[in-house]
Amino acid sequence: MSPRSKNSPAAAKRKRRAPERGGRRPKKQTCEFCDRTKGHVDYKDVASLRKFMSDRAKIRSSRVTGNCPRCQRKVARAIKNAREMALLPYLGR
Amino acid sequence: MRTYELMTIFRPEMAETDVRTEVDRVAGALTERGAEITKNDFWGKRRFAYEINHLTEGYYSVLEFQSEPAAIVDIDRALSLSDQVVRHKFIRPD
Repeated sequence: MSPRSKNSPAAAKRKRRAPERGGRRPKKQTCEFCDRTKGHVDYKDVASLRKFMSDRAKIRSSRVTGNCPRCQRKVARAIKNAREMALLPYLGR
Repeated sequence: MRTYELMTIFRPEMAETDVRTEVDRVAGALTERGAEITKNDFWGKRRFAYEINHLTEGYYSVLEFQSEPAAIVDIDRALSLSDQVVRHKFIRPD
């Protein structure tokens, strides 16, 4: 199958995007939790939750992380639960 | 029946064997109230991300179980009153 064929995933993605008029090219949005864990976010998994926090321990917005709204809520909830159990800090630095 | 997860932090100055018996006591109290323990995960000593009551570490334990919502009410109270428990939390995983 050629990479330019009509039903390749790359072709579908290009088609969906609005024509660009210069300016900033939007970053590809991928929700990590959606595809990796099928929507389940564990508050005990500190290492992967840290990726959704700034280095001052603030929760990163979905605009930054590219999370879908559903996963963003779950990630935020999980971080807050982990904070209550002192697995993650309320404030860093 | 609902799935619950109970995370408990015990005081660091306790002996590990005492903590384990304490965890078993909690698990026993749960089964007594009709809960079914599915996982008993003991993490051991772990540093806190921030200071709690002038403590910097504690023993973590995670119990996973199925039970009716009513069963956890007493346990929740007992854990809040216990001197050996720094913190505890019931979580309903989705």
